[in-house]
Amino acid sequence: MCSAIRSRLSGSSGLALGVLGVGNIGMVHLKSALSMAAVDVRAAADAMPENRNRAERAGVARTYDDYTTLLDAEELDAAVVALPPFLHADAVERAAENDIDVFVEKPLARSTEEADRLLETARKAGIAVGVDHTLRYQPDMIGVKSEYEDGTVGHVPYASITRLNDGPLGRPPVEHAPPSWPLDADAAGGGSLLELGIHCFDVLEWLFGDLEVRDATTGTTLDIPVEDAATVLLRAPETETTITLHCGSYQWEQLPEVNTRLRLEGVTGTISNQDHLPGNFYASAAKSALSNVASRVTGSESDVFGPTFYLQAHYEALSAFCDAIRNGDRPPVDGQDGKRSLELAETAYELAAAGDDTELETMEVTR
Amino acid sequence: MTGAPVVRGTVIEAGERIDDDIDTTDGTEPRDLRSGHSGNGNDAPTRRWNPDIDARMAAYEPSVEDVLSPTLDELSTADPERITLVPDAHYPFHPSTGMVTDPALVGATLSLLDDRTDAELAVAGTSSAAIAFERTTDYLGYPSLVARTGAELVDCSDDDLERERYVLTNDDHAVAVSVPVRLRESAVITVPTLRPTDAGAFAGGRRTLARLVDAVTDAAATAVAATRAIDPRGSLLDATTAYGESPYAANTLFAGPTPAVDTLGESLLGRSSTADRTRAAELEAMGTADSASELSTVRVTPVGPTADASGVDFEQHLATLRKRLDGASLPPSDATHPAVSAAYRLYAAVGGDAVPPQLDARGGH
Repeated sequence: MCSAIRSRLSGSSGLALGVLGVGNIGMVHLKSALSMAAVDVRAAADAMPENRNRAERAGVARTYDDYTTLLDAEELDAAVVALPPFLHADAVERAAENDIDVFVEKPLARSTEEADRLLETARKAGIAVGVDHTLRYQPDMIGVKSEYEDGTVGHVPYASITRLNDGPLGRPPVEHAPPSWPLDADAAGGGSLLELGIHCFDVLEWLFGDLEVRDATTGTTLDIPVEDAATVLLRAPETETTITLHCGSYQWEQLPEVNTRLRLEGVTGTISNQDHLPGNFYASAAKSALSNVASRVTGSESDVFGPTFYLQAHYEALSAFCDAIRNGDRPPVDGQDGKRSLELAETAYELAAAGDDTELETMEVTR
Repeated sequence: MTGAPVVRGTVIEAGERIDDDIDTTDGTEPRDLRSGHSGNGNDAPTRRWNPDIDARMAAYEPSVEDVLSPTLDELSTADPERITLVPDAHYPFHPSTGMVTDPALVGATLSLLDDRTDAELAVAGTSSAAIAFERTTDYLGYPSLVARTGAELVDCSDDDLERERYVLTNDDHAVAVSVPVRLRESAVITVPTLRPTDAGAFAGGRRTLARLVDAVTDAAATAVAATRAIDPRGSLLDATTAYGESPYAANTLFAGPTPAVDTLGESLLGRSSTADRTRAAELEAMGTADSASELSTVRVTPVGPTADASGVDFEQHLATLRKRLDGASLPPSDATHPAVSAAYRLYAAVGGDAVPPQLDARGGH
């Protein structure tokens, strides 16, 4: 595949890239790609005119209202699939028909069954599949991993991770219409476990190796069709670490504050991601901005989205994918990684459903 | 707080109703609500949010019956064909935030109305640019709630609803609103929340009604005209959870004429309807100003766990409410201030960085 990928790379201006879907996260990918020296963003597609207008204002040369038209019309090396999950498999299939590698927004698919079909399509076509699992690119998570692997707290019998935000419904003041697909189980595949928990599974396996799901519970705080809270009990056999994971889309989020907490309780102390975040976001952002301006003067490379670490992680994830494609390497977070996180989520759903059936416990609330 | 008015009300006493002026500003002897409340059946006084809607309904019902008793009596006698509740159901925020009327309070009120009247019952609201009323009510659990009494959910933005034009006028002013006929022909009770709006005003009964009418004038005038057009029988202010700069379990219900209850709510949020003298004069000219005497018709009762807690000092409770809610405002917008966006764009141009999408005009999902 490596040589095939190399031979496909088009032109001297770099990796020819298209962005399918330029809603919120798609725009982050688009802007990231536009900032990459060795990437040539050819076009973007979105069904919504206002999103296409934003993409054009951001600097993309051409936009399409249909991603299939884009894939057929443009000569691309790779495409970012930032469409709702129910379109991922179709988009990958269309990309495969056009011999285009894909970087797919998480979750890779709505189920492992769908992921298997998607990956088989990619395998037969010989295209690479990367997945946007960004937590492992965040500086705070990198800091935790570094500390852990340095053995600074010794053996870690217990760890916990929490990821909360306000999901599709948001918080007041209401500024835009909430999308419908994230609250549609058929379209999204699930609720906060697939939206947020999937990131946690990925970063936990990145830290501790293979995980086993021991128990899980899900719940809703409103009468919505998908869960907006999930708690999962995990075990990492290799490190003999017990882990609790809680994710939910019920909590109001006030950026730049992001409620992602990871704690590793070791024998000699605790490793916390909070210790690897800037104490003062704005001061850190200002420092980063000044550094970038200085870099411009000295001619060195600047940090894209430097003042915002969580957007910078998306940049790093896409950049790593593009580097891998350019070098003919396997994407650092590939389709199997994406499927693995889906497997853990599915097991959690099954255990939660079994728990509901037997009424063993109810950890979350209804209304 | 601006122009804190003397708020007078009627305290609900166990077994009897005592008209007793409560002056929250003159330092009169505090009242012990424990001795004066009929109880609500909760065994363990606690201020924790109870996610069980049936438990909340059960806790609310006695207090609703007390605080709304004049209205219930009036409706029992008048025997209207239809009674419509208009809650603050503008968006599916969690009821524990105080940003929407607790559906359990609506359910408790429907249950009482079902017991005390033969009227058809309805719960009305409207769709907005952000979200359809049906979606909001689905997520808030209204369909199963209204099914208990056979009440109907009515989306006042439905094009099929017959509407009529109502003009509120005097010598100098005229405000026209288009009102669903079924609201004009129904006995309406507003069930607003004690919270600020996006614009910083009090989201009281009048503004809750204003969302159900079409008008081209400003929000304050629309609220006044909508209230005059619909002529609600009263307002049941849901302060079980209020929102100041954060939620506050106030565990209180207020009831009375809609303008009077709104005035009380405004004062609790640190707003004053008389602060804007021009506006106050306009309202006065339209005959819709809230006179101090109206405030004495507002009834108030503790609800839920607080009602059973011993040693509750009512005067202190209202003072605490004012303190907790004074200067109430919603969280800041996600939208970045234009000056910050401009500065970031300048930095991005100089520093060679990308501009985060949050600093662009929003759109899409």
